[in-house]
Amino acid sequence: MEYGPPPLFNQGVSARARLAFFSFLAALLIMIDARVNALDTIRIGVGVMLYPLQRALLWPRDALIRASRYAATVASLSQENEQLRKDSAERTPLLLQDEQLRTENDRLRRLQNLRERTGVKTQLVQVLYEPRDRFSHKLVINRGSTDGVRAGNPVVDERGVVGQVTRVFPFVSEVTVLTERDQSIPTQIVRNGLRCVAFGGAEAGTLELRFLAANADVSSGDAVVTSGLDGLYPPGIPVGTVARVERDVKDQFARVIVTPAGGIGANGLLVVMQLTAPPLPPPPREDAASERPARRSTKR
Amino acid sequence: MRFWRLRRANGDSATAVPLTVTRTQPPKQVLRPVSPVFIWTTLAGSLALDLLPWGRTPLVPDFLALALVFWNIQQPRRVGMGAAFLFGLLIDVHDGALFGEHALAYTLLSYGAITLHRRILWFPVLGQSLYVLPLLLIAQLVSAAVRLWAGSASADWWIGLIQSGIGALLWPVVTWLLLAPQRRPMRDETRPL
Repeated sequence: MEYGPPPLFNQGVSARARLAFFSFLAALLIMIDARVNALDTIRIGVGVMLYPLQRALLWPRDALIRASRYAATVASLSQENEQLRKDSAERTPLLLQDEQLRTENDRLRRLQNLRERTGVKTQLVQVLYEPRDRFSHKLVINRGSTDGVRAGNPVVDERGVVGQVTRVFPFVSEVTVLTERDQSIPTQIVRNGLRCVAFGGAEAGTLELRFLAANADVSSGDAVVTSGLDGLYPPGIPVGTVARVERDVKDQFARVIVTPAGGIGANGLLVVMQLTAPPLPPPPREDAASERPARRSTKR
Repeated sequence: MRFWRLRRANGDSATAVPLTVTRTQPPKQVLRPVSPVFIWTTLAGSLALDLLPWGRTPLVPDFLALALVFWNIQQPRRVGMGAAFLFGLLIDVHDGALFGEHALAYTLLSYGAITLHRRILWFPVLGQSLYVLPLLLIAQLVSAAVRLWAGSASADWWIGLIQSGIGALLWPVVTWLLLAPQRRPMRDETRPL
């Protein structure tokens, strides 16, 4: 039997014990989430619970935007209308030509017994908010797994690739923008078809083409598009333009900085793309896949 | 304030001698009891303020952290580390951060506030905000350290420091607002406390 002080001032479990318990629990959650990705069901549950509150709290901002739009003058609206009409008139012939080229391409591919290009399903989405997290740049969009959005889907705007869906909730999804440090995308230089992988750059708001030999044929001003080798991005979508190339005799790789084409930051409407059929065979086993990704992509 | 020395039993001092006491603290009112509904409403309200679409504006403080520190200092037996932990998980999901990152930060914040609450309450409001500043800074540094461990460095780490500073500057306002329902409506000088 234990003789302790009488419970006159009993305050329950001591603060230190509570601290130890909760910080251990939090550290455990962090480690599991960072290393194993096993907590997605809990996260989705919390996300669904939080969803009505989040949507309700977007209302004041949306109301402000709507009010300011309502107050927009007729002159600015008619100007915008004029501009849009001009844009669409400029694009219509290109679109018609595109249709014709597409059928021609399909026919040629069939003649050569090549596989047909997989179709792309698109979905117009709206950016709900940018999370305040200052360690990663993400966007939250208003479509989720119930609308068919899957993790890995590319997200583009009218100018180029914006990012990739990295986490899907039932009603919303998180998009990690292209310029994030650990985000990578297989690309191709339009001028000569040189394939490379673009990673988020060290400077904010830039991309970097890594693993390009120091004597690679890249120069500033080159357009960079997706190569479609990963089976996630459709080929030929603009990624950016090469801003500058630094060749250092000490390094065996060139340092290629790319300015992204897609509006990363201020965009309201985006398009989520989804390849209708996976164009690639299932990935090879672990031992075969242990090669560096850049080398693998140039081989294929 | 004056205290009157009690008349001695043998009555050799016929008149009471006034004795002045220098005051080290401003006068304090005894507050009325707090309503739990108000505590949880304000915590939910500060969560809502954090969930507003602020985007990446750097000057917005973490309202939820402020409210948690406030109630941990004022009512450490009602709002504890468990509440801080759960609110942290909600913020983690909303921000798309690592699951448990804000939970850990708020737990430490809450522990600091609970252990220091008797000392902090001794100070006037401006002195209190000097105590609140390092608490908020520690919470920011913890989440920065977690992200560094997970491998995402950011050039914007100093934003956390600014947010903590603004949070500490807001402390008098927070105190004034959140203690308002506990103050007595009429200032009565004849009350002893």
